[in-house]
Amino acid sequence: MTKFLIRRLLLVLPVLFGITFVTFALARILPGDPCYAALGDKATVQQCADFNERMGFNDPIMVQFVRYVGDVMHGDFGESIKDGRPVQQIVIERLPMTIEITIGAIIFATTLGILLGIVSAVRQNTPVDVVTMIGANIGVSMPVFWLGLMLAYLFAIILKDTPFWIPPSGRLSSGITIAPLAETFNLGELSGIWGVLVGFASHSVVFNALITGNIVVFKNAVWHLVLPCIAVGTIPLAIIARMTRSSMLEVLGLDFIRTARAKGLTNKKVIFKHVMRNAMLPIVTIVGLSVGGLLGGAVLTETVFALPGVGTQLVSAILSRDYAVVQAFTIIIAIIFVFVNLFVDLSYGFLDPRVRMQ
Amino acid sequence: MKRNLSVLLSLVVLASMLLAACATPATEAPATEAPAMTEAPAATEAPAAFEGMMVESPDCNYGGEFKSIEAVDANTVKFTLCFPDPAFLSKVAFAAFSIQDSDTLNATGGDSTKLSEAPNGTGPYMVKEWVRGDHITFEANPNFWGEAPKVKTLIFRWSAEAAQRLVELQSGTVDGIFLPSADDYETISADPNLALVPFETGNIFYVGMNNTIAPFDNDKVRQAVAMAINKQQIVDNYYPAGSAVAEQFVPPSFTPGYSTSSDAAKWYTYDPEAAKALLAEAGFPNGFETTISYRDVVRVYLPNVNQVVQEIQSQLAEVGIKVTIEKIESGPFLESVAAGEQGLFLLGWGMDYPDATNFYDYHFASNAARFGNEWPDLVAEIKAAGQLGDPAERQVHYDEVNRLIKEHVPVIPMAHGTTANAMKADVGNVVMGPLNENFEEMTTASGQLVWVQSAEPIMLYCGDETDGETFRACEQVYDSLLGYEFGGVAPVSALATAWEPNTDATEWTFTLREGVTFHNGATFDANDVVATYTAIWDASNPNHKGNTGIYEYFTGFFSQFLNAPK
Repeated sequence: MTKFLIRRLLLVLPVLFGITFVTFALARILPGDPCYAALGDKATVQQCADFNERMGFNDPIMVQFVRYVGDVMHGDFGESIKDGRPVQQIVIERLPMTIEITIGAIIFATTLGILLGIVSAVRQNTPVDVVTMIGANIGVSMPVFWLGLMLAYLFAIILKDTPFWIPPSGRLSSGITIAPLAETFNLGELSGIWGVLVGFASHSVVFNALITGNIVVFKNAVWHLVLPCIAVGTIPLAIIARMTRSSMLEVLGLDFIRTARAKGLTNKKVIFKHVMRNAMLPIVTIVGLSVGGLLGGAVLTETVFALPGVGTQLVSAILSRDYAVVQAFTIIIAIIFVFVNLFVDLSYGFLDPRVRMQ
Repeated sequence: MKRNLSVLLSLVVLASMLLAACATPATEAPATEAPAMTEAPAATEAPAAFEGMMVESPDCNYGGEFKSIEAVDANTVKFTLCFPDPAFLSKVAFAAFSIQDSDTLNATGGDSTKLSEAPNGTGPYMVKEWVRGDHITFEANPNFWGEAPKVKTLIFRWSAEAAQRLVELQSGTVDGIFLPSADDYETISADPNLALVPFETGNIFYVGMNNTIAPFDNDKVRQAVAMAINKQQIVDNYYPAGSAVAEQFVPPSFTPGYSTSSDAAKWYTYDPEAAKALLAEAGFPNGFETTISYRDVVRVYLPNVNQVVQEIQSQLAEVGIKVTIEKIESGPFLESVAAGEQGLFLLGWGMDYPDATNFYDYHFASNAARFGNEWPDLVAEIKAAGQLGDPAERQVHYDEVNRLIKEHVPVIPMAHGTTANAMKADVGNVVMGPLNENFEEMTTASGQLVWVQSAEPIMLYCGDETDGETFRACEQVYDSLLGYEFGGVAPVSALATAWEPNTDATEWTFTLREGVTFHNGATFDANDVVATYTAIWDASNPNHKGNTGIYEYFTGFFSQFLNAPK
């Protein structure tokens, strides 16, 4: 197990190195001068020349890359071209929002997806099964952007002035705020790793509200997460539902299930104790892979719902050729994706004792 | 074997990363020491008597507009210019030149990021919080020198999507939105809970031609193209209501600038037959093939760029000009046009400050290559108009400028686009214009107003910024010497209550408002004005840092920095 872990962690390095290189190269291959993006359409040729010189963009790409990797290894992701702030600070401000949406969407997609998959499998070829699978196919086909706008239109405009009204966008309702944790707990000016952790926790509004016992903010924050989570979670939900159904149907047809039923076990016990456990492996794989999709989907979801997460920041950074921000967020998303998949791989061993990790 | 290779590769990468991490970081070049300044030393203690600062250029050979800026007394500041600037008042009213507290400037070294952390202005609102990525909350400034803001809490949010902004407005969570899509104007107008607030903007959409690229090096070809385009049809089909066909390069509200008499007042009439005849005279009886370039960027002056370029293509085909459309990414397109590489192209301009110099000087008298070689007669008239203080005298030259533009046809003025914002119908006293919105004068039942714009402000110090979303936020916090009237373009009193030019408009003396305090309680005086301008103007000033250090609006308005690095 330990050897497996070390080997997997070592393999993370070339993956991250490759991602860093590709992102770095792609950002610079993109047409468009960061100068015009940063200084505006009316920047003169001389102003752009000065800007590129000052930012080091006139150096050969490899020189820029080596300098960048060195800085990253020193924990320095650079400064945003757009507003001159450290990228690390921007990550602390933006990543919690995306993680909240991702967690919310995963909960929504797995809970409902597995449930619908089970119902569909148990009632195979009944109207319930047909309707569920048609719904799953529609869910898979729906673009997140369109679904988000439709959900906002339905819940925020059509259902306006009803108890089902849900805010169409934003992190919290206007006028509702929450203090940073350092201020709440009088921690003073924090720096280093503690500054990062406390800053990160502060910007996770749901977490912040939860541990400070601020129920008003907690409810408001969760309320604002409902539509984005549904929008971004619908495609994984549909995939999980279909995967659960097919996986369960496969297991339901095996001999040991017949034996279990012959032993007189209740249907509930057969489904949840025997079928589910054996059908979980592909479902867990799909859930792990969905995390990548959810992080990618955040770009669209956050734009539609005007949420201050990684997605909106990344779009803005790409449009303004803010290389440092684009690279940092891509690397961080890659790290999250890699570790989620590592976690999924490790979970196989717990779910299925036949899987041996030597 | 495969596994060993993977492990080996990982170790190599790990080792190279460690090497990179251990490498000595590149040392920064030592900052050049700021040369001695002529200003009085900053007082470290409260002086008994006012000690006015003065910054002066030894001569005007450095290429900039300012000769000196002097705090004559606590409430008087004098700008001495190297040449007359009739647009000076319009320029100093701009948000990029909002006045900073000199102590705050010194404490932050003029760093935009630091200045944005605790903005300290004299404006109607103070920043309560800026939750990055989400919103800015402004609270009414209890010590504001003007009428107390009626909206006590002003919240700015942002969303890049016009459709999303409209959903927010329709759902009732916000009170006003910036630029809904023109396609939604009807929906908004039909909704009794909403109000569309149209306003004119000072802009021009034009078709540009370069006189160094054949066949546009032929005057008759350019004139023929001008006659071959049906501008009215384009405005009718692709512009929102209220937009106007452009007869001249500046909008009609620009006085002096816009000609109302003479043959310069009207552009060529749409006449395909006359265009064909001119092409034949020019040696192209069967027309010619060319390329029209553009960028796919929506602007108020060109809201439907893809449709418009296709329309122009089909109109030119009618006179025998076969046009290939070339869409270029925005940055490279602007670069290419600026370098004079495009023969026929679509572009436009939105005003930076409301004066004709902002249109004519930049485009036709700035040694730029976008239209090829400049026309000396046109340059002479533009320069002459830009050095006179008297509006009537300037107009005489601008009449000639407009006539010459029509004769030389470096551009075909196409349209002046109009646009609109949308508000909840129950928000009262709404006035919006090309340069500002009167948020502090608006009324809402709750005393709170939530406004959604299209992007987050980049900074809350605007000296070194260029985008409108940032300026809008700065305008709530800071004041310039002058401001712009709400809904219009005329400069009006702000931190200066009176101003007086000398006879040739090379000296401008401003009398400052008394009793004004910054948000931190510091008293506003003439030294704050000198410090603010000097931080931008003098490249050797310790506070000359900003965001990018480019200070694009300063160099655009007033030419060169003092002590600019070679």
